[in-house]
Amino acid sequence: MDWTPLLLSAKLALLTTLLIPVAAAPLAYVLAFFRFPGKSVLDAFVTLPMVLPPTVLGFGLLIIFGPQACLGGAWEGLFGERLVFSFAGVLIASLIFNLPFAVQPMRASFEKLDSRLLESSAILGLSRTAAFFRVVLPNCLGGLAAASILVFAHSLGEFGVILMVGGSIPGETKVASIAIFEAVEALRYEDAFRMSALLVPVSFVVLLIINKINARKP
Amino acid sequence: MKRISLLLFAALLLLPLPAFAADLFIAQAANFMPAMKEIIPMFEAKTGLSVEATYTSTGKLYGQITNGAPFDLFLAADEKRPAKLFADGQSEEPFVYAKGQVVLWSMNPELCKGSWQDAVQAETTRKLAIANTETAPYGTSAMKALQAAGLWDSAQPKLVFGQSIAQAFQFASTGAADAGFCAYSSVFTEEGGKGCFLAVPEAPEVIQAACVLKSAPHPDAAAEFVKFLGTPEVAAVKAKYGYK
Repeated sequence: MDWTPLLLSAKLALLTTLLIPVAAAPLAYVLAFFRFPGKSVLDAFVTLPMVLPPTVLGFGLLIIFGPQACLGGAWEGLFGERLVFSFAGVLIASLIFNLPFAVQPMRASFEKLDSRLLESSAILGLSRTAAFFRVVLPNCLGGLAAASILVFAHSLGEFGVILMVGGSIPGETKVASIAIFEAVEALRYEDAFRMSALLVPVSFVVLLIINKINARKP
Repeated sequence: MKRISLLLFAALLLLPLPAFAADLFIAQAANFMPAMKEIIPMFEAKTGLSVEATYTSTGKLYGQITNGAPFDLFLAADEKRPAKLFADGQSEEPFVYAKGQVVLWSMNPELCKGSWQDAVQAETTRKLAIANTETAPYGTSAMKALQAAGLWDSAQPKLVFGQSIAQAFQFASTGAADAGFCAYSSVFTEEGGKGCFLAVPEAPEVIQAACVLKSAPHPDAAAEFVKFLGTPEVAAVKAKYGYK
């Protein structure tokens, strides 16, 4: 049996989890603490990938990652590699797809934060950016951990979006979910079973960890 | 307000869903969809029976059938799966209903100026779509053509795999892939008309077989449809979409 798809899934999940806070944390911060016109529009826009069928999102990304579209064309001009059907493309798709799954728990934990902490830090002269790194983040580690683990589990099982933008290239975009799907279609049930048998306990353990974190009182 | 939304919700639940009311359920391999979209209304007009068809890959349909999906008729994209159903005692004897051909399709008219081998090797062909060579019969056929032309190994870095021939066409028609091995029938669709294609004579004909399922809820309607598939009217539609 070929283990490459499972390793590829693990790599994708790990990189998504490591990179997603860069985009998600500022968004969650803005959504939790700021009031501005158009906030509900931003909120809806960030949450959209959670509600859209993955096939719809995947089809949209297939088109904008393609060489004819501005994003895909610019990428190909810059790196000489096509964005669609590449690991980079799948990773970007995974980041977009997972954004709401990271933003929501982070935002919830930011909103639970005692407002007196922020008030005192403002009185003591901390800027909003400094307050974010020195007060908000250290006090919301639980929410951040929950978000990371949710994103990790979610990208491990991602199927619909990758099916659309991946093109099932071994070692590049053929992740575990696609390999399992293909094995079932090819009537190689044995292979499908072995790969699933590894994914199920991993996902289960991940959920146990989330429950542990959520049960912990701050 | 609350009461109105509740009423609307209840009304939604009561909406009649016509999909459950058909006289005949067909499991249809995706590549034959353009032809089928013409054949079904002809059959309905002639017999007064209503037909519901599901279009997806042969492998997926086979999986659904072996797990008890209530189809009457299975029109596959290969001979293998209907034969397997028959061998397992799950269907009546299979018969061939169409023979399809693989073509190389591209959005870029420049690519169609030479032979298909030139197009595969062209510098501008950076990504080449092909259906899954293991599960999609059109993918297997395209692979054999590449092997016969001695291009299989050199084309590897360019290949992107669709789960079905329909997805291979989707990759090519969105421009995500520069060209793709597609079913000749897709050339006759609206999207297919926007590009160019090259014949791939080295690709073996894809023989598509069908069978009536033993578990068919509507065996009479299925028999009626099988008979209809043999008429000259259907032969004309098949010819129009490049099937033999």
